[in-house]
Amino acid sequence: MKTLRTLARYLVPLLPLLLVVLLTACTGIGDVDAPQNTFAPRGEFAREQKHLFLYAMWPALAIMILVEGALIVALIAFRHRRGRGLPKQVHGNPPLEVIWTLAPLFVLLGLAVPMVSMIIDHDRPPSANALPVKVTGIQWAWQFEYPTITDSQGKPLTILGTPERPAELHIPVGREVALELTASDVIHSFWVPRLAGKRDAIPGHTNHLLLVAEEPGTYPGQCAEYCGLLHADMRMIVVVHESEESFRAWAQQQLAAQAQSGQGQQQGTAR
Amino acid sequence: MAQATVPKPLGLLETLRQVRRDAATYQGIWSWIATVDHKRIGMMYLVTSLIFFLAGGIYALLIRLQLARPEADIVDPQTFNEFFTMHGTTMIFLVVMPLSSAFFNLVVPLMIGARDVAFPRLNAFSYWVFLLGGLFLYSSHILGGPPDGGWFGYAPLTVRQPGHGIDFWALGLQILGISSLASGFNFLVTILNMRAPGMSLFRLPVFVWMTMVTSFLIIFAMPVLAVALFQLSFSRLFGAHFFNPAAGGTPLLWQHLFWLFGHPEVYILILPAMGIVSEVLPTFARKPLFGYPFVVFSGIAIAFMSFGVWVHHMYTTGLGPVANSAFGITTILIAVPTGVKIFNWIGTLWGGNISLRTPLLFAVGFISMFVIGGLTGVMHSMVPSDYQQQDTYFVVAHFHQVLFGGAIFALFAGIYYWLPKFTGRLFNEKLGQLHFWLMLLGFNLTFQPMMVAGLMGMPRRVYTYPSGFGLEIWNLLATIGAFVIALSILVFIINAIYSLVMRRGEVAGADPWDGRTLEWSIPSPPPPYNFAEIPHVRARDPYWHEKYVEDQEGRPVPVVAGGANGEEHHEAEGHGGHGIHMPSPSYFPLIAALGFPIIGYGFIYADYALVAAGVVVLLLGIYGWALEPASE
Repeated sequence: MKTLRTLARYLVPLLPLLLVVLLTACTGIGDVDAPQNTFAPRGEFAREQKHLFLYAMWPALAIMILVEGALIVALIAFRHRRGRGLPKQVHGNPPLEVIWTLAPLFVLLGLAVPMVSMIIDHDRPPSANALPVKVTGIQWAWQFEYPTITDSQGKPLTILGTPERPAELHIPVGREVALELTASDVIHSFWVPRLAGKRDAIPGHTNHLLLVAEEPGTYPGQCAEYCGLLHADMRMIVVVHESEESFRAWAQQQLAAQAQSGQGQQQGTAR
Repeated sequence: MAQATVPKPLGLLETLRQVRRDAATYQGIWSWIATVDHKRIGMMYLVTSLIFFLAGGIYALLIRLQLARPEADIVDPQTFNEFFTMHGTTMIFLVVMPLSSAFFNLVVPLMIGARDVAFPRLNAFSYWVFLLGGLFLYSSHILGGPPDGGWFGYAPLTVRQPGHGIDFWALGLQILGISSLASGFNFLVTILNMRAPGMSLFRLPVFVWMTMVTSFLIIFAMPVLAVALFQLSFSRLFGAHFFNPAAGGTPLLWQHLFWLFGHPEVYILILPAMGIVSEVLPTFARKPLFGYPFVVFSGIAIAFMSFGVWVHHMYTTGLGPVANSAFGITTILIAVPTGVKIFNWIGTLWGGNISLRTPLLFAVGFISMFVIGGLTGVMHSMVPSDYQQQDTYFVVAHFHQVLFGGAIFALFAGIYYWLPKFTGRLFNEKLGQLHFWLMLLGFNLTFQPMMVAGLMGMPRRVYTYPSGFGLEIWNLLATIGAFVIALSILVFIINAIYSLVMRRGEVAGADPWDGRTLEWSIPSPPPPYNFAEIPHVRARDPYWHEKYVEDQEGRPVPVVAGGANGEEHHEAEGHGGHGIHMPSPSYFPLIAALGFPIIGYGFIYADYALVAAGVVVLLLGIYGWALEPASE
C-alpha cells in the first residue's frame, strides 16, 4: 500500500510531462521548413523511404501500446494487496506461447516484402538521360565533378568546398542524377536528408546513389559518417534548379569562371 | 594475530608468503588483493564498474552540455570527439560488460550450489586484467590525449589519426578482451561442471542459462575483435596495409570484422540483463517464470542469430541489394525470440501477487524501455528507410533504449535485488523508488527527444549543429534529461552509502524477498565457503520448493515446520565450515595481469625493452601461479 502511494506520488507529475514531450514531438516533426527534416521529403527516394518508415512505425506503435498497456494492467490488477495469498503457480501455457511466437513472425514477414522490393528498386541502374556527377569526400569538404559538362580544353566542371564554405551541388528538378561516390582519405557518407537516404563514400571504392529532386529549392546535407576533427562541418548544399535551362545557364557561367581562374573550383576556392 | 607480531626483516619470498597468510584471514587490504573468493571478486567488479559508470556519465554530461545549444563553444571539436569515443568505450567495455561479470561472479556459484567458480585464480586474473586494462585506457588522458576515433574505431580514419590515443584504445580493448575471454571460459566450465547434485541443465535458473549463453558469445565473438584490433595496431605501429586501398587493402574489412564481433557484443550486453529480469520478476510476482523452456531457448536462438545480422550496421556501405535484403530479413527475424521473452515476462506478472519493491520496478522499467528499443530496432532493420536513420540521433536513441533503458535498468534491478545478500543490509526502499522514478523520467527526457532530432536530420558524432534546423528544443530537452539521470544516480549513491556502507539499512536476513533460488538459502552475507553442505536439488526454483509445496490446483502451501523437506541447510550453521577445502588466496593473478599494461606501453612508445619486461612479469606471474600449491 505504502509503496503504491509513493509510486502514485512520483508517477502523477511525470505523466503530463511525458505527454508534453510526445505532443511537441508530433508537431515538431511536421515542421516542413526544417532544412534536413526526413519527414518533409522533396525527392522521390526520400519520399518513398519516409513511407516505408511509417509503414513500419504504425504497427510498431500499436504493438508498443499493447505491450506497455498489458504491462501496466498486470501491475495494477495483480499488485500485492492485503489478504491476497500466494498466487496459483502457473508454469506456462505452450499453445499460447506458440501463438505469440508465430504471430509476430507473420507481422514481420509483412514488413519484409515491401522492404525487399524497395531495396531492389532504390538500387536500380541509372536511366539513359541521368546526369552523372562524381562526388569525392575529402576531410572535411565535398567535391562535385560533372564529367559531361566540360570546358574548351575538355576539363570537367568541378566544384570544391571547404569546411567554412560548403560546396554546392547544382541539379535540375525532376531529372535523375547518378552520383558516383568515393573518398580521398577516410570513409565519409553523402547525405541530403530531404532528397534521399545516405550512401558511404569509401576510399578506393565507388558507390552509386540516385537522386531525383521533385521540387526546386536549396537542400542542405552533411557527411553522416564520423570522419575526424571537423566531421560536423563537412556540409554541402544541393541547389535544385526549376528548369534544365537555368541549370545549363549556371553550368556555363561556372565553366567561364573556371576557365578564368585556370583552376577547377568555384565555391570556397583554395584547396 | 599476524598484525601483533613485531615485523622483522624478511626476504622477498618470505614477505610474499606472509602476505598470503595474512590474506587468508579475510581481513585487511591484502586479503582483497590476493582474494580468489568469487563473492569478493564480484564486489570488486561491481564497485570498479560503478566508478567507471560515473566516469562515462561525466563524459555524457559534458557532451550534452556542448550540444544543449546550437553552435556552442563549451568544448572544442577535438575534445568532443575524445569524449564521445571514451563515453562509448567506457560504457560498453568498462561498465555494462563488467557489471554483468559482477553478477556472474556474485550469484552464479550460489545459484548452482557451488563453493566457488571452477578456476578461482583465473577469476581473480580476469578482474585484475579488467581493472588494469581500464586504467591503461584512461592513462591516455595524461599521456597525450585519449582516443578520438569513436568506440567503433572505423578504419582508415583510425589508422590515420595522429597521436597515441587510438593506440591506447586498440591495445586497451585487446587487454580487456583477454579478461573477458578468461571469464567466459571460467563461467562456461563452472556452469557445466560445478552444479550441485540434481541441478540438471533444465533446472538451472535462467540467469545462469544466460550467463552460459553469454560466455559462449564472448568466446566466439571476442577473438574476432582481437583480430581486427591486431590489424589496426599493426597498421598504426608497423605500417601494415590491411585497410589501405592504395596498397591493396580494403577499408570495409574493418567494418565486417568489427560488427561480426559488435553485434554479438550487443547480446553479450543484454542477455545477462534479461537473465536478471527473469529472476526478479518471478520472485516479486511470487510465481514461477512463465514458459521457462521458451525463455531459455529464445535466449539461445538470439545468441545464434546474433552472428548473422552484422551487415545491418553497414547498409549504407553499398554491399548491394542481395546482401542488404538477406541481412534485413535476418535482422527482422531476431525480433521473434526477443518478443517471446517480453510476452513471457508479462505472462509471469499476470495473475501474480506483485510486490512493487525497487528491484521489481527496475525490472519492469527494463521491459517497458526495452520494448521501445526492440521496436525501433525492427524499424532500423528496414533497409531503405534505414538509409535515412543510419548514423543519426534516431540510432543513438534506439541503442540507448536497449543498453541504458534495457541493460542498465536491469543491472540496477540486480543491484537492489542481490546486494542485500552480500552486504547483509537492504537498500532504503524510499530512496530506491525515488532513484527509479527519477531515472525513468530522466531517461525518457533524454532519449525520446533524440528520436525526433534524428528524424529532423541530426547526424551522430557532431560536435555542434547549426541553428534554424529545428533541432534546438530536442537537444535542450535531452540535456535536461541527462542531468535528471545524473540526479537519480546521486540518489543511488546516497542510498548505497547510507544503507550499505553506514549500515543503516534494514537487516536483510537470509531470505528478504521470499526467494526461489539457492542463494537465498544461505546466510547474508554468505560464509566464504557458501554452502556448509552442498544442497541436493530436486526441482527448478529449488529453495522455493523447500518452503512450499503445490496442492492439487497448483496453489503453493507452506511446508509445515519440522517437515521432512528443506531443513538440512539450516542445521549446518553450527558446522562453522571447518574442514571445507577452499582454494588459498594468491597474488600471482595480479602479478601476471600487471604484465599486460607494461607490454602495452612498450608497444605504444616503441620501447621493446619495456615490452620484454612486461613479458617477463607476465611469465613470472604464470610461473608462480603454476607452481603454487592450490591450498596451504
